[in-house]
Amino acid sequence: MKQVKEPSFDPIEDLRKAGIRLEVLRYLAIGIFVILTGRLWYLQVMNTAAFAEKAEQNRTRILTIPARRGVIFDRKGRVLVTSQPSYNIVISRKDVKNFSELSDLLVANLDEIDKDWLSRRFEAAKFEAKYESIVVKEMATAADVSWVEAHQYEYPMIRAEEAPRRFYPYAIMAAHALGYVGEVDKKELNDSASPFNKEKGYKLGDIIGKSGIERTYNEILMGKDGERTVVVDSRGRIQREISRNEPVPGRDLYTTLDLDIQKMAEDQTDTMPAGRGVIVVSDPNNGEIFALVSHPAFNPNVFSLSSKTDEGKDKIRELYEDSDKPLFNRATQGTYPPGSTWKLMTSVAGLNEGVITPENSRIQDGGIQLGNYYMNSLSNYGMPDVVTSIARSADGYFYRLGLKMGAERFEKWVKIFRFGERTGVDLPREVSGTIPTRQVKENITRNIMKRRKTENGQPWTEQDDEAARKAAKWTEYDMAASAFGQGTNAATPIQLLRYVGGLAVGGRMYTPHLFLKAEPGTDREGKSHPEAKFEDRNQYQVPMNEAIHDIVRKGMWQAVNAGGTAGAAAVEGFDVCGKTGTAQVASNDKAGSKNKDHAWFMSFAPRDKPEMAMVILTENAGFGGKQSAPRAKPIYEDYYRRTRGLPDPAAVVSAAADVNKQ
Amino acid sequence: MFASNRRYLADFDWVLLGLAMLVAAFGILEISSAEPAPGLWRRQLVGFAIGLMVIFVTTLFDYRRIVNVAPFLYALGLVLLALVMTPLGKEVNGNRSWLFIGSQGFQPSEFAKIFTVLMLANYLSGVKKRPLDLRTVIIAGIIWAVPTVLVFLENDTGSALSYSSFMIAMLFLSGLRWNWLVAGILAVILAIVLAVPAVKNCKSYKCERIKAVYWPELADKKYRYQNDQSEIAVGSGGIFGKGPGGSTQGTLGFVPEVHNDFIFAVASEEWGFVGSFLSLTVYLAIITRLIQIARRSRERVGLLLVAGFAALLLYHVAVNVGMVVRLLPIMGIPFL
Repeated sequence: MKQVKEPSFDPIEDLRKAGIRLEVLRYLAIGIFVILTGRLWYLQVMNTAAFAEKAEQNRTRILTIPARRGVIFDRKGRVLVTSQPSYNIVISRKDVKNFSELSDLLVANLDEIDKDWLSRRFEAAKFEAKYESIVVKEMATAADVSWVEAHQYEYPMIRAEEAPRRFYPYAIMAAHALGYVGEVDKKELNDSASPFNKEKGYKLGDIIGKSGIERTYNEILMGKDGERTVVVDSRGRIQREISRNEPVPGRDLYTTLDLDIQKMAEDQTDTMPAGRGVIVVSDPNNGEIFALVSHPAFNPNVFSLSSKTDEGKDKIRELYEDSDKPLFNRATQGTYPPGSTWKLMTSVAGLNEGVITPENSRIQDGGIQLGNYYMNSLSNYGMPDVVTSIARSADGYFYRLGLKMGAERFEKWVKIFRFGERTGVDLPREVSGTIPTRQVKENITRNIMKRRKTENGQPWTEQDDEAARKAAKWTEYDMAASAFGQGTNAATPIQLLRYVGGLAVGGRMYTPHLFLKAEPGTDREGKSHPEAKFEDRNQYQVPMNEAIHDIVRKGMWQAVNAGGTAGAAAVEGFDVCGKTGTAQVASNDKAGSKNKDHAWFMSFAPRDKPEMAMVILTENAGFGGKQSAPRAKPIYEDYYRRTRGLPDPAAVVSAAADVNKQ
Repeated sequence: MFASNRRYLADFDWVLLGLAMLVAAFGILEISSAEPAPGLWRRQLVGFAIGLMVIFVTTLFDYRRIVNVAPFLYALGLVLLALVMTPLGKEVNGNRSWLFIGSQGFQPSEFAKIFTVLMLANYLSGVKKRPLDLRTVIIAGIIWAVPTVLVFLENDTGSALSYSSFMIAMLFLSGLRWNWLVAGILAVILAIVLAVPAVKNCKSYKCERIKAVYWPELADKKYRYQNDQSEIAVGSGGIFGKGPGGSTQGTLGFVPEVHNDFIFAVASEEWGFVGSFLSLTVYLAIITRLIQIARRSRERVGLLLVAGFAALLLYHVAVNVGMVVRLLPIMGIPFL
């Protein structure tokens, strides 16, 4: 029946036709395989290099191992600055999907972290496009770190990152000498004149010295970060380490500072009436600085421990905005008229030039009529000799000495003393000050006139040059004022320290410096260095024969020990020699302490074999003899007692109290 | 009995079994390399053993007797597919296509596929017509459509499309008119061309997966990631590969689903062009071997059965490798 119904169907023919169609299927299969093979050829043979690189970038991460920064010691090996192991808690931004969930998580599990602060932090981080990671906590506690490490698998976006912190155990003490550290600026990286530019191998994120010896000796202190290359999985979890470059630690550095003297000096600046001033102490025999205080100071820990927290940022802003400028190093950057401390310079100049002689140095003291101007003198000792004039700070004597000497010879000696030049102290951004010379007066006058003309939109002509020269004519008044330390005269405390040290040792001027030695070690380029010591290439001699040196010492000794202006500095048995000075403050602000004069006291001791030179400046306090000389006394006393092995009076008192108790 | 045994051994296609075992072994090796934890590759090993047993048990029966019970098997397949739609069905990786017996999950669509091939062989071998008439094509279409729609509703596009592969091949071999076939192909091409603008604008995950391959710049980064990483895995393998165990893209989790859908990516990364070309060649050998067997068949039913499975295998290899090498969108299609 079926065959009748479908007569056309032939099973043999059906299979034959099907067989032909199977061939079609086979060619289809072959075609598909050719296409797939072609694609594989394209990916695996033609473009394999590009894909291999992508795979490598996928799986490897280079993590830095921070190098330890060198420790800074005082001259006796006491630690002044060190680096603490510390961790930051960091979020890798890419892997965060929900910030609010994450912040709940962090608040719940990290110590002392504030939700509001975190949300502000995340908000702020949106604009920090540059960085892949957000620091959510600095100086994480051990509990924080262990929580993060325990939950690495659940929350791979939270990491604990090693970030050693610069730590200044004495906080504010010697802050201006030591400086502080921070991340290198982009501006500095791109500035070819900067010591921290890219060509020198610095890169974004490097911690460098920002001021003080941290900055000057950054090359010694800073190590070279190591690197480890690790394999990560697709979620960024570290699987294993492929290679490791150990970091090169920075070299330890010994400063010339003496912690004991520094402490005493800090105590003295703390009580300065206007809250501003300087004390610098050095060894006059080589320029080593024992103590450097610029007051007010700052706490360098603020920069290294909390620069990324809101609290720390506020503190840093306060430091910048404070009108007393705590970040400003008054010792090397502040310039003040040297006042009467300058009289030693004038004396040495006059004696060397023969204007006066050791045998005959008597000149009239008291006020003087200069043209139609009467120049007052606070002293009138008749016809004093130079020693008395130094001891009593006889202004009238030095007016006349200056006038006798004349500008030519006077200026020659200003330059021999190298006023108006940087001392070369090993601190950044030292200024050079201004000297009272004809050229300087002319420059200042011309600049003022020029400014006035430009403000009125007028051009500066040759006639104007001539007019400026006339206006800046060196008068007798200029000569007299310059001779006793006023005029266009401004010096830094560190310049006066070099000066007084030179006076103490008979004219040898050593460069004041803070660097004592550095331990041997390897630098950032991998070169090894032996122990390094300070080399004073800048020292020089101011001509000063024995007779002149005697006069200087006698005058300064008498100022302290024989009824002179600086009696308050006298220390029994130690022969302190000194000279007070009062720097007149020109100010329109009649009321308030800012109008008061700055008080100077420069000194050295003991007279015959000086061990210590010191400059004290008390800003807006009044007379040097009253305000600054008394502050030298406890510092000398303490040093004298310690070096001579005398008992500590405080200890004696407390021992006595103990005896009484028993 | 002994005689029949000897015939059994003589008739058995040892070459085919050898090739199949080769790919299975390679698969287990690569899974163990991608996921060294013993759970997965051990499971694959167990599956391999079960597969071998099924092969031998199946060969003990005459395939015609199996084809004869095809309607019952087909009905069973449909019931299982329907069960997936009930609360008994479980969703795994976005596909609600799983049933569980205890902790052991399986996808009814994989079984229903085989049962549908059997059912089509059963039906088409009974049709004594060449070329096929419209009625036959419609009935065959219904046999195909019911399970396909069910699988499609389970969101398993890759499997749903695999049903088309053997259906078209079996209709074609049974004598589908050329002009109908060409018309159908043209219709599909036209539909694709018309769909292009809509796909470009559409944001569903299926559209995103398509865009990720053909218009990566339009695709969501999230969807591009898998394609990118898979491509990197294959490309970074180079000519000779990174060696066994040398995969980084796979073992470190950049390539997703390495132990099943993307195992070919890991294999290509470790064995390079040489390895991936060889493994494709083995597959091509299996498929041409199957086609050869089909040609030698003296009955339409045997021919259709073998060719249907060949087409299904071809589809699986083409789609899986195609998606790994970024020629086709990602669909859940296992390779081995």
